[in-house]
Amino acid sequence: MALSVSQLTIQDQQGLLHIGPFNFNIEAGQILTLMGASGSGKSTLLNAIAGHLPPSFSYDGQILLQQQCLNTVPPHLRRIAILFQDDLLFPHLNIWQNLAFAIPRSVTGKARKERALKVLKQLNLIELQNSYSAQISGGQRARISMMRLLLSQPKAILLDEPFSKLDKNLRYDFRQFVFEQIQLQQIPALMVTHDDADIPVNGSVITLNPKPQQGNLC
Amino acid sequence: MRLKLMVTLTLLLFIAPLLVGFGGVIAPAFSWLPVLGLQQLSFNGWLQMLAWPGLSHSLLLTLFTGLGSTLLALCWCFIILKQCWHSQYWFKIERLLVPVLAMPHVAFVLGLVLTFSANGWLARILHHLGFSQHLYPSVIHDSYGIGLLLTLAIKETPFLLLMSMAVLQQLNIKQLQQVAASLGYNPQQTWFRLILPLWLPKLRLAIYAVTGYSLAVVDVALIIGPNQPSTFAVLVWQWFNEPNLELLPRAAAGAMLLLLLTAAIIILLRFIEWLLISYCNQWQYRGVTANVKIHNKTGSNHRIAIKLSQALLLFPLLMLPTLAIWSVAQRWRFPDLFPSRYSWRFWQQQLEPLQSLMTNSLILALISSLSAIILAIVCLEYRQKYQRGLSPWLITVPMIAPQISLLFGMQTLIYTLPGQHYWLWLSWSHWLYVFPYVYLALDGAWRSYDVRLDQTARSLA
Repeated sequence: MALSVSQLTIQDQQGLLHIGPFNFNIEAGQILTLMGASGSGKSTLLNAIAGHLPPSFSYDGQILLQQQCLNTVPPHLRRIAILFQDDLLFPHLNIWQNLAFAIPRSVTGKARKERALKVLKQLNLIELQNSYSAQISGGQRARISMMRLLLSQPKAILLDEPFSKLDKNLRYDFRQFVFEQIQLQQIPALMVTHDDADIPVNGSVITLNPKPQQGNLC
Repeated sequence: MRLKLMVTLTLLLFIAPLLVGFGGVIAPAFSWLPVLGLQQLSFNGWLQMLAWPGLSHSLLLTLFTGLGSTLLALCWCFIILKQCWHSQYWFKIERLLVPVLAMPHVAFVLGLVLTFSANGWLARILHHLGFSQHLYPSVIHDSYGIGLLLTLAIKETPFLLLMSMAVLQQLNIKQLQQVAASLGYNPQQTWFRLILPLWLPKLRLAIYAVTGYSLAVVDVALIIGPNQPSTFAVLVWQWFNEPNLELLPRAAAGAMLLLLLTAAIIILLRFIEWLLISYCNQWQYRGVTANVKIHNKTGSNHRIAIKLSQALLLFPLLMLPTLAIWSVAQRWRFPDLFPSRYSWRFWQQQLEPLQSLMTNSLILALISSLSAIILAIVCLEYRQKYQRGLSPWLITVPMIAPQISLLFGMQTLIYTLPGQHYWLWLSWSHWLYVFPYVYLALDGAWRSYDVRLDQTARSLA
């Protein structure tokens, strides 16, 4: 499994933003870090890969997942999961139902709940199964949100500054947790951040310049 | 301190007429009406009501048109939101909502009658096309109440759309769509499985207001609804206008039954919502449906939804030209498509009496809206400061409870009061109905206003 991008450039209609060309390849279990100041187009690149680019933007080049071109694939069929800053657990479903929401349709009936509870057991959070997201702590929410993504069996994962809203000690723990899970599941990951501490050991880094018309590969 | 006094005053102004309204219906329903010399409690009113031959038929019609129109409007509203929210077309819908909502519903309904009745415009056109008049199904006064149901649904959809706007903005649909897409849900499935269960509970009060209105509506039902028998609210209204005052307890019993019926239906709706959204909610997390080829269908669904919203929103406005032509028609025989003679006679005749009526309406509207806006702002400021506000359930009582029940109660009390301060009572009762709408409309703005802006402003002196 690998996520790769070749000769990818993104521009908006007004010509205010023009980033790229990007060329990178992320192997299974690897994390590529994308750094840059706000406004440098980090999120735009993630949106292009996930298929959420607003209509006013356009891009050239290729996005490949397992050698398959994703350019024309609608977002929900790309099998690319996004971990956002906020946990975005659904407030109307309890914790195990939130997890069950992501389990593929091939798992049916009671097996769905069992699968969700198994994940909670792994996290030692089984007692939270019937709680709602407003009732549990930020750290717990973050972990459950990550596990919900993985339950949907993604083929690649995008991390959109997922640690920036957590406080310091939580941040370290959750970061370790996310990196472990990515290793465990052997999927490629692209991470956007502006904190140097987030860069995994021996991980490769791309830095985006805030100036338009430029995007350098370091 | 002054703020607190004003809030207390608002609460009094609000609760007093409600208590009077309910009391003034319950007492005469049990034949207690000292003004008329009725001082012996009895069930006569209820017995007289139950003896009415068409009662159950009339109640069934009320249930059918009231519930049916609410559910239909809700479906239309959801379809339009699902297809058009966040599309280019939504801005057009948003711009149309205000004029459509501002259009008086009596004007809309009269326009409908003039267009669709057995000698209306449509029938004339069909006649010229060679169709027999008997083939033309009239939806005006039809005995099943279908015309009434459709009219109410068309009238309520814009209101539900307007109320949904605030809800969807709060829900951050774009983000939900992205999360769901990253879990494998296509936009259609996201709307059904995720957004629907989040949207519906937040729209609850608006839905109950629509239900309460549809169950108790008198004017629209009189003009377009079935009349043999009519819906229950119309029946009660006719009973109230009975010259024989001895029969007033029957009308009061009817008003009370209508109130109970509305309460029962709203409890039923709440139960259905709980059942589908909270209790039997497996359908929400059953997983992604296998992705069939749906791309072409999505496009055509979008077009259908756009046409539906255009039809629903433009339809009421289309009635205006019909009304304009009829108002200047002097001679207009049946199959003719246009009047053969025009005249300003009606305008000239009616202008003078209308002038004073219109001045009255305007003054009344100004007094009640202005005082409602001022008091609503006071209450919201109070809530912002002390985190204590008026209960939303209390606020919506006048929106949901049948007007005919509440107003009858108030009327009976006002007649027993000395003096003729009708202006005062009239503006007060108008205010009672204006206040909840103003309060709820401003509520969203106050909630989304960041208190920190205030704090920053103060720290900058």
